[in-house]
Amino acid sequence: MKRIFVDYKKCLACKACETACAVEHHPGHSLLAALCDHKTQVNVRVLGIDHEAFPLSCRHCDPADCLNACPSGAISRDPESGAVLLDASFCKACAMCAMVCPFDAISFKVTHRSQYNRDVAYKCDLCNERIKEGKNPACVEACHSGALVYAEHDSLRGKHAAKSLRTYLLGAEGMPAHVELFRELRRKEFARRRGDE
Amino acid sequence: MKVVTVGTGMAAAEFVQRLRLEGFGGEIVMCSDEGFAPYSPCVIPFYLAGEPLKTVYWKGKDFYERYRVTPNLSDPVVEVDTERRLVRSASGRKETYDRLFFATGARSWHPHPEWLETSGVFGFKTLTDMMAIDRYIRERNIKKAVVFGGGFIGVDAALALRHRGLEITLVHRNTRLLSQMTDEDGGQFATRKLAAKTGIDIRLKNTVSEIVTAGGQLTAVEFSNGERMETALLIVSIGVSPNSEALCGNDKGVPSNEQMLADPDIYTAGDVAVTRHAVTGEQGIFATYPNAMQQARIAARHLVHGDGSFGGSVNTNVLKKHIDFPIVSAGRFEGEAITRQQGDIWRRVYMKEGMINGYIIIGDTRISGFIYHLYLSRKRVDKSIGTILSEPRHDSYYRGMLGIAGANRN
Repeated sequence: MKRIFVDYKKCLACKACETACAVEHHPGHSLLAALCDHKTQVNVRVLGIDHEAFPLSCRHCDPADCLNACPSGAISRDPESGAVLLDASFCKACAMCAMVCPFDAISFKVTHRSQYNRDVAYKCDLCNERIKEGKNPACVEACHSGALVYAEHDSLRGKHAAKSLRTYLLGAEGMPAHVELFRELRRKEFARRRGDE
Repeated sequence: MKVVTVGTGMAAAEFVQRLRLEGFGGEIVMCSDEGFAPYSPCVIPFYLAGEPLKTVYWKGKDFYERYRVTPNLSDPVVEVDTERRLVRSASGRKETYDRLFFATGARSWHPHPEWLETSGVFGFKTLTDMMAIDRYIRERNIKKAVVFGGGFIGVDAALALRHRGLEITLVHRNTRLLSQMTDEDGGQFATRKLAAKTGIDIRLKNTVSEIVTAGGQLTAVEFSNGERMETALLIVSIGVSPNSEALCGNDKGVPSNEQMLADPDIYTAGDVAVTRHAVTGEQGIFATYPNAMQQARIAARHLVHGDGSFGGSVNTNVLKKHIDFPIVSAGRFEGEAITRQQGDIWRRVYMKEGMINGYIIIGDTRISGFIYHLYLSRKRVDKSIGTILSEPRHDSYYRGMLGIAGANRN
């Protein structure tokens, strides 16, 4: 099963993933419509932790604690894509799912999928419709720096293993020079803010 | 092989669905005192709050047809004859079984059962209750209600009826609402916030001691402090007791082993089953959906494949219905208390031997899953727990993963 993988060292915190997700899940499918709309849902969140940043979202766990905790039949798994999906028309916003999600990947608000004029749970749907058409999830498509990859776990792990061995043997960092520079600048900036310098 | 379930609740529905998914092709009969397809008790208050009935059938209204089940509905099972392997219903019907799944759930416990004979007094447990309350409110154009009992079900009832537009008075014997889910401080914080956010008139350290009727119709209630309040609707939700009489002859629940067996041919699960707590090891009834579901799956697996064992229940629960103000808790409220508060958010963890012994998280759910897994995994967190609770951006899990210390490092 393909999943979205995050290489947080490549994340530049540009939030292009957030924007693309908002547009993808907005009924208007446009940035203008999604802006300033309080019902806009963004299923991915770029979390900045000091000098590091990375996009945080649902990992579509298997087994999924949220799916096993949902007492209203709103959460299911697509057997084909493996995506854990949330049907807002059945969601009662009871928070059983959020209570057990270790990754804080489920939030609540009134979205365009709310049917009864109240908040519902919302989370990443792996862009299930897009990936069935053979496309990448919107966030992956939008990621400029290669921090987000939609791939099979095993093949990606193999690549990483080979790459880190090469990195280890040759002493090369394996990170593009401009990304390395950006990281260096950000590390220094945060050290300065902490008053370490 | 013929399987009979006593009960058509969440545990029984999960059990039957699992049996079919695992390839069980034998006859299945499901018995219930009510006349519905399996429904979700967690969802039914939303029906009362005005949402459509179809959403209560969380596995579909066509459940019996889809899973090839013979339903014996509206006819309570009154006796299980384990010798002859048959169940008897109130109407005298006999149903033999090879394996029985006894998941009868629990019922409202009423201090004065005779009150229910009065028009306007209801329990708040079943879909039958919800439909009766709904009809009553519509027919009599009810504008206000008194809810007696401020536990999970009572608060759920109060919030659902408030959402429908009724003016609610909530009467509770204890010093705080949700007294089983909270400790004294947490419960009082939650009670104050709920009162402020909803406008519900909460009367603590008080009970409904008497009802006033006129011609079989409720007109007022009297509180134990002597006060009297006009009302035509009283919801009694002060407790539940397990429906274990038909099998055990008492209402103390059905003891089970790790295969969810109560007897060599009888499985049990859900709100009637006595199970072991996964962390504390104590035996008890842990009446939440995730427990019922896991127990039912273990039973189905054991019936079909002969293996699998239940790892134990967890007393974790959350109340966040009809209002965006979650109250989460689990474990025991004993040990060293570490508390953090920021505005509407109140968090307390009880530590014992360096591990989380229990916790209460009020006001948001952002770190509740992280804490839940720390609690279950029995990790030592005595050095980090203070920071985890007070991280201003609620990102302690991710900080830990990246190895970046928190903001309030010393």
